[in-house]
Amino acid sequence: MSMAFDKVLDARGLACPMPIIKARQEINTLQPEKVLKVLSTDRGSVKDFQGWAQTAKNITLLAQETEKEDGKEVYVHYVKRVS
Amino acid sequence: MTKQHAQVTEWTVREQKERLDRRANFFILDVRNRDEFSAWKIEGRETPRMLNIPYFEMLEQGGKDDFIESIIAYTSRELVGQLPKDRPIVAVCAKGDTSAYVADGLRQLGYDAVNLQGGMRAWGNFYEINPVTESRELSVYQINRPARGCLSYVIVSDGQAAIIDPLRHIETYLDVTRAKGFRIEQVIDTHGHADHISGGPALAGQLRRPYYLHPYDAIHPIDLLPARVPFEYLRDGQPLAVGKARIQVLHIPGHTLGNVACLLNESFLFTGDSIFINSIARPDLGGRGETWAGLHYHSLRRLLGLPDTVVVLPGHFSSPQEANVDRLFMASLGELKEKNDGLRMTQASEEAFVQYILGSLPEFPPQYVEIKRVNAGLLVVDEEKASELELGKNVCALAHAYKADPT
Repeated sequence: MSMAFDKVLDARGLACPMPIIKARQEINTLQPEKVLKVLSTDRGSVKDFQGWAQTAKNITLLAQETEKEDGKEVYVHYVKRVS
Repeated sequence: MTKQHAQVTEWTVREQKERLDRRANFFILDVRNRDEFSAWKIEGRETPRMLNIPYFEMLEQGGKDDFIESIIAYTSRELVGQLPKDRPIVAVCAKGDTSAYVADGLRQLGYDAVNLQGGMRAWGNFYEINPVTESRELSVYQINRPARGCLSYVIVSDGQAAIIDPLRHIETYLDVTRAKGFRIEQVIDTHGHADHISGGPALAGQLRRPYYLHPYDAIHPIDLLPARVPFEYLRDGQPLAVGKARIQVLHIPGHTLGNVACLLNESFLFTGDSIFINSIARPDLGGRGETWAGLHYHSLRRLLGLPDTVVVLPGHFSSPQEANVDRLFMASLGELKEKNDGLRMTQASEEAFVQYILGSLPEFPPQYVEIKRVNAGLLVVDEEKASELELGKNVCALAHAYKADPT
């Protein structure tokens, strides 16, 4: 089950706070209405992306999923720039 | 984002515990998300003042691409009145990486800021060992896992040891035996634990010694499946010898059906999850609180029949304030009969007791069902998942044991 997106950020293997720091940088390079798909292996990213999306005014969190890859869980976040 | 992982000043969880114990002056800046912070946080006998600002809020509202610059911008603008300059500030996050940046940023602003090495995960996995009694004939050590409120025990006599309720970081117990030069003969679980992953099977397996459990707790109460871990049956009245010391097993169903207490040399009562210093155990973690409350009542009354001088050594605590001046969680049965609400209700009628229990049940953490599966050998988890299942304080006692959030 996946959504449409315009760019992928592969943050797998990166420890907190890098997934959100990089996601924020990438989102700022996108036009409004574009979607960034972020991959992370940090379980903390699930709640943290939710919290970040609530505090950031220019984005919204469209969806989150968990996928299994080689026995490890990968957390996927779809972030849309709204302004 | 070009900052390297900066040279940070940090302190270890052990150093932090030591500071908490001596009520040192310091302030905690916890940068985890708000849900995690409200689920569990650092506690001490006098918990220091603390502030929770999620790191992504500092990043977003600081408004810079560079994380540390954002921290500096945010702090200068929003936190000046709230962060003290007269004492150290320890930055805390889930694993200790993010908080290192926060400490760095704060130091650049002139604060005396340090990072908690390893973060809350390290705090959650930290253990300390305190002697209850130490002599050639008998030594008893209480092993405390402060973040979770879990207590386990080492009983030593004549160079032989029994471990009661070992937690999953078995190196803790192996290190103690190496340091003090004794041999573990028995590994005992007072019951099938729901709040933490037992190190019993692993420790016993590694040492090729028996792992003792009451057979009623070798059935997962929700799944109704038998355990897949090898174990030796405990039964009521069973004697166990540890060197010259004598343990008598008492079967006290209530918290679980296979719940036992261990009476050592008729003087120390290892109550597991039945009697705690400030409370008593809940009987509903098997999903049958109404049915098991009556069993619990009769079991507790049986324990209350022991002499008042017997010293209770519980399996959990809800608050660090339950410890005595020597950092030990222990009290005589006589003292608890008077001060412990749960035990006072046990001295009332069964009906009143059951009402009291059913009105005092805290929330049921969903991971408790999974933890019991792990303990029964029905589910295998890796270190990451194990750590995650065990996050947070134990909720084994009745609701009044949990004081309102002091901050």
